[in-house]
Amino acid sequence: SVTRDGWNKGWGTHQIDLLQHRQVVPPGGIVPPKPVLAQEYLPNCSPDIFRCTLTKVPENKNVLQKSKLPFGLLIHPFRDLEHLPVVSCNTIVRCRSCRTYINPFVVFKGDRRWECNLCFRVNELPEEFQYDPVSRTYGDPSRRPEVREATIEFIAPQEYMLRPPQPATYLWVLDVTRQAVDTGYLKVVCDVLISHLDKIPGDRRTMIGFITFSSSVHFYLMGEDQKNVQMLEVGEVEDMFIPNPEDLLVNLDQSRNLVEDFLTTLPDAHAASCHTQSALGAALQAAFKLMSPIGGRITVMTTTLPTVGPGALKPREDPNQRASKDIQNMGPATDFYKKLALDCSGQQIAVDLFALNSQYVDLATLSGVSKFSGGCIHHFPNFHVARNPASHAPFVSCLSRYITRKIGFEAVMRIRATRGLAITNFHGSFFVRSTDLLSLPNINPDAGFGMQVNIEEPLHNIRTACFQAALLYTSSKGERRIRVHTLCLPVSPNQHEIVTAADQEAVVGMLAKMAVDRCLTSSLSDARDALVNATVDALMAYRCGLSHPAHGTLDAPPTLQLLPLLVLAVMKSVAFRGGLSTKLDDRLFTMCQLKSLPLRQMLTHVYPDLYPVHAMSEKGALDIDDQIIPQPGRLHLSAERLERCGAYLMDAGNTIFLYIRCGISSAWVEATLGVPSYAVIPQPLFEDPLPELDTTESQMLRNFVAHIQRSKPYPAPIVVLKEDNPARMLFIQHLVDDRTEGSHSYVEFLQFLKSQVK
Amino acid sequence: EFIEAQENKEGVRFSWNVWPSNRIEATRMVVPVAATYTPLKKRDDLPPICYEPLKCTQMQCGAILNPLCQVDFRAKIWVCCFCFQRNPFPSSYASISEQSQPAELFSTFSTIEYTLMRQQNLPPIFLFVMDTCVDEEELGALRESITMSLSLMPATALVGLITFGRHVHVHVLAKEVMRKQYVFPGAKDQTAKTVQEYLGVGLRTTAQAQQMPGQAAPAPQPGQMNNRFLQPVQECEITLQDILADLRRDPWPVMTGKRSLRASGAALSIAIGLLEACYPNTGARILTFLGGACSYGPGMVVDDDLRKPIRSHHDIEKDNCQYMKKAIKFYEGLAKRVSDNGHIVDLYACALDQVGLHEMKYCANFTGGHMVLGDSFNSSLFRSTFQRVFARDEKNNLEMAFNATLEVKTSRELKIAGALGPCVSAHEKGPNVAEMEIGIGNTTKWKLCGLTPNTTMSIFFEVANQQGSDVPGGRGHVQFITRYQHSSGQTRIRVTTVARNWADAQTGQHSIALGFDQEAAAVLMARLAVHRSETDQDGTDVLRWVDRMLIRLCQKFGEFTPNDPNSYRFQDNFTMYPQFMFHLRRSQFLQVFNNSPDETSFYRCMLNRESVSECLTMIQPVLYSYSFSGLEAVMLDTSSIQPDRILLLDTFFLVLIFLGETMAAWKKQGYQEQEEYASFKELLQVPVDDAQDIIANRFPIPRYVETEQGGSQARFLLSKVNPSQTHNNAMYGGSAIPDPNSTDGGAPVLTDDVSLQVFMEHLKKLAVTTNA
Ligand SMILES: [Zn+2]
Ligand SMILES: [Zn+2]
Repeated sequence: SVTRDGWNKGWGTHQIDLLQHRQVVPPGGIVPPKPVLAQEYLPNCSPDIFRCTLTKVPENKNVLQKSKLPFGLLIHPFRDLEHLPVVSCNTIVRCRSCRTYINPFVVFKGDRRWECNLCFRVNELPEEFQYDPVSRTYGDPSRRPEVREATIEFIAPQEYMLRPPQPATYLWVLDVTRQAVDTGYLKVVCDVLISHLDKIPGDRRTMIGFITFSSSVHFYLMGEDQKNVQMLEVGEVEDMFIPNPEDLLVNLDQSRNLVEDFLTTLPDAHAASCHTQSALGAALQAAFKLMSPIGGRITVMTTTLPTVGPGALKPREDPNQRASKDIQNMGPATDFYKKLALDCSGQQIAVDLFALNSQYVDLATLSGVSKFSGGCIHHFPNFHVARNPASHAPFVSCLSRYITRKIGFEAVMRIRATRGLAITNFHGSFFVRSTDLLSLPNINPDAGFGMQVNIEEPLHNIRTACFQAALLYTSSKGERRIRVHTLCLPVSPNQHEIVTAADQEAVVGMLAKMAVDRCLTSSLSDARDALVNATVDALMAYRCGLSHPAHGTLDAPPTLQLLPLLVLAVMKSVAFRGGLSTKLDDRLFTMCQLKSLPLRQMLTHVYPDLYPVHAMSEKGALDIDDQIIPQPGRLHLSAERLERCGAYLMDAGNTIFLYIRCGISSAWVEATLGVPSYAVIPQPLFEDPLPELDTTESQMLRNFVAHIQRSKPYPAPIVVLKEDNPARMLFIQHLVDDRTEGSHSYVEFLQFLKSQVK
Repeated sequence: EFIEAQENKEGVRFSWNVWPSNRIEATRMVVPVAATYTPLKKRDDLPPICYEPLKCTQMQCGAILNPLCQVDFRAKIWVCCFCFQRNPFPSSYASISEQSQPAELFSTFSTIEYTLMRQQNLPPIFLFVMDTCVDEEELGALRESITMSLSLMPATALVGLITFGRHVHVHVLAKEVMRKQYVFPGAKDQTAKTVQEYLGVGLRTTAQAQQMPGQAAPAPQPGQMNNRFLQPVQECEITLQDILADLRRDPWPVMTGKRSLRASGAALSIAIGLLEACYPNTGARILTFLGGACSYGPGMVVDDDLRKPIRSHHDIEKDNCQYMKKAIKFYEGLAKRVSDNGHIVDLYACALDQVGLHEMKYCANFTGGHMVLGDSFNSSLFRSTFQRVFARDEKNNLEMAFNATLEVKTSRELKIAGALGPCVSAHEKGPNVAEMEIGIGNTTKWKLCGLTPNTTMSIFFEVANQQGSDVPGGRGHVQFITRYQHSSGQTRIRVTTVARNWADAQTGQHSIALGFDQEAAAVLMARLAVHRSETDQDGTDVLRWVDRMLIRLCQKFGEFTPNDPNSYRFQDNFTMYPQFMFHLRRSQFLQVFNNSPDETSFYRCMLNRESVSECLTMIQPVLYSYSFSGLEAVMLDTSSIQPDRILLLDTFFLVLIFLGETMAAWKKQGYQEQEEYASFKELLQVPVDDAQDIIANRFPIPRYVETEQGGSQARFLLSKVNPSQTHNNAMYGGSAIPDPNSTDGGAPVLTDDVSLQVFMEHLKKLAVTTNA
């Protein structure tokens, strides 16, 4: 009945027949569900930082199991924040029993005591806590920022330091094989680095060093008292050693001129390289030895499979098997890189990997060096300055962000949960030091983590459950800091409530991470099956909970309406897709991304945002700082949504596509791109930024793009693609609602699900 | 006079200038038939000959046309004086006649030198291998010396630089975008292959050529980069000076109680590998500067624990050297490699302690490289010596020659037993190789990677003639063919052909004895003795051998009534020989315990390569006396030490001026400053000038000492002179202990050595004893 539907809709508990209701992507974008707490005034942790797959915590294991949904957390702990309260105090107030940081969800027992919301111990409040740093008065402890903010940062006093905080230390390890030099990447890196030298996070103590490698390993002496940079080449890669005890890692301030000289001359110094072999393993060993006494960040750029010295690998990919159902060699070929990563982790070193390869480099193996050391991985397949100009801008953009973004050193992250809940599994790049403690030699603002949660004891008589993530790190200025995020969720014994409180984006995010693990421990087809089964099970569990399930429908609550679509998109992602020829490295890289990207970015990769931009108006537009930002409304990723006379903007994460169909009006083309007609739009066109034309269309489009860019860690380059350009596949491949070779369309997938859900 | 003339003309001296006619007779002569030969003896009168020598066409002979060959001018045929093959002259000789003979037939040109114009001119190569585990002062001095040497080289010479401490750094001298060094771990011995691979030098192997098919990028061939490390001095001088200026001490920290880790062995090995790859069989000199002993990696002779001193002769005797044998094996292996490549290794060792020359000596000995032993690179002794390495001749060419071979041709009755000198075997067997091996044998050809005008070889022969068979022709011939790279880059061949008479079987004894060259013989025997002790490592046995040989020679060539020592008489040309042997026995060449193993190696190295006269000085130092009655050579005897004399002692390694007691007293009182005693001033100056003359012509520069009666450095003199007057004399029935105040009795020497007189008495006694 209409009334009932209205009622249910109001409470968010109505059901949707997915077969009928095909438009599931909300035009205004997906808004994460907010945990509903009894004390609504309490500030909860932002879903951009910390979210749970279930915004209501099942009271016990049984309820969880019946819901058939994964229970886990997704966290983006070091996210760039515009507003971050920072507290400097003599004593950081923590629970004496479980060491939880005081937070908005504790219960005050009078002015002098507080009850821990995780272990329920009652603690004393120190005198200092009565002091309100804002009003500079003593009195009500609830005025303290610690209890007013769910995300807060402490400047740690002495006892949080095992050793004096390390200086920000950066070591670059660059591939200079013939293949690498040919791509032209070296000059790009040097140019970007030189232009950002002032923006490298750090202070007067900041250290920098460089190693290059081909079949040998090269070091660079840049001691402040030297006149010239000197290259030291070591060919003895089997038994790597450091050729000089000093001046290889130098103080950036003191050796600034030499560093600039170095960056200016490096590309030329290797321009004639004739070595095609790569001793990456040895270079990494050298880097490890060089960094061990200090710790810091190692940035590795490679274009080639390591072929000589320790850690040498063999090509394992059979190009004829790229489209097969089950993919071999997704696991590491050797534990060399993992072991090295663990050694690095032990010395507070993280290794970040940039793969700019056009041939197989075995990311399945190489990625270990970053995964276990808390590093990040970037992949720019077929990078070539001349032959693949499209690859240039994304790399520069990414690199600029990489060099200048915030960084935390010698970090650890501990996740605490209300008694009865336990973390069982972690996803991301780190080393697990103990059940709830991750070793993160580096933490960067673009790293995301996932954790699966288990209910070990029923949460009887508890109205809310809390998770607290505390990230202890050394800032690039040498301060020891602790960033604390606290997430509070209501507890429910009701399965239906749990399901209707699911956070479907987080659920898909978690399922994708679990599927990656499944791939590596079992097989690709198992992982795909698991994704499908999880969807079927969730919908079936929901259906079982309905009092009067209708025939011939595929019902889902609004909180799961996107589940089939997003799961399908995950299965069609480069990581899990079958049928299409997919390079092993591309597949492995996508898997790494699924494991470690923050949820928002991960979803943009999996299911890009598509907007019609040929008819934007001020209707419903946002007005931010006097800028009119049109809101054209998201579309499903299907060709049938693309009108013949339309132009479409797709935000695919690292790239924004502007796809123009042949029927587009010349007026629009003229007004936005500044050329008279569709026919004469130059192709391929890489626009960064779009032409600044004095037209409403141009202004609106640029405002809209700028708005999208602001939500990203770094701006994505824009690629303008015409419908008749073969490169349109770059765009078309993202239309995941449509049927592709060997995979369902969204409708077919729904039909299939329906056949399974009984 | 004949001997002197021969030496001047040919650079050849034979122990016997008349040869016994058969094998048995030859063995009875005790001292073998042998020659000393100075291949590059300075000859100002040699004509420039710019064509190739004519070779005997007999397959195994290959001797070169010389004045001793018979020539049939009408038939245009020459007869080889070694194999009697009749060789036609080639067309280029068509115009020869009795009146117009080519230079090589002139009897004055029994030594002649050909310049091969067709060979490519090669600039000399100098590769510096520099120790950086030294203090700032030493490093600075070394830097200066090397910089100085650049200005002494021909501008086209190729130079290279390797520095080492804990690791080995090979510097790129080519002008490149970035200054660059290749670093090798000091702990590891590199094979020639890995050195080439890491440095990207040498020929491109097929394996390299095959890899990476389909790579579009044109990669430079590694071969093109050969010269990055070895550049013409005119092009890289500034770069090299910059590198030297920036060069710092080895930066690795050294704990107290430890030695620096010094990878001399690895450095040398890499230097050798580099030249092996780039310039095999081309004249090149590896100048190795050592500030201490190798303490790390291959060839280490001592570890880094300062509490454990480097081995001494006592340790060697007791077989108590942890690293020595392994190190010797390593350096000997390197020396073989480097000599195969035709390159020279110089060892310039300047340190207060030993640097391991005992182990490293092979590198210099096999290649004719210099061995220089000093206390400091900052000493004038080292500086001047090093400067002299680059001495030029009157034609402004460096006085050094490279990559030589010495081939010896002999008449059929004479076989080649071996050679001693700064050489290795070139492994060329021929019919004239003797059964018996003396020195480096089993070959007719030796390789001399480095030569100077002084380099003197010893060649040992064997008379092959069986008893009873005829001696053909009455004369035997020997031809020395030296092919070398001249410092100007030319390839030259020097040929010396000599003849000696065979002794008549019946009446030969007397003429053989007359042909004895006791000086040459003493040097040859000294080299043999040293060779024996080097190879047997047993000093006492060698002394016995020297004694035994001497006694047998005395028995054979003395005149005496059996069992009557007083009846013993020497022939004139034998009288000095026992004295030489007496001094040889006492010399540092055979008595090692007063010296370090490094010093012993150095002394022996010089004995093995210098000219006969210089070697004689080493064996029996020369003592001159200066007094108001004039200059005279005096006996190397305590009796020569007189108060009113100034003595000048030359031991080759040391030049010492010694003021007798009176002279010293006068000098102390400053008489030389007073005009009326100008003659005294003059007398003081003469020996100083003479000493400078000696020093000026010698390599390495000898130590120079001025001392006086009672001075602490007088010990250098006292240890050399014959102890004719010691406290032991009484035991041998001499006079009572001499009065130290006596004015004519000379100064007493305290030593347990027997004196020459006693030695001679014993010798005579043993020589006349019938069953000795
Ligand atoms: Zn607690
Ligand atoms: Zn012949």
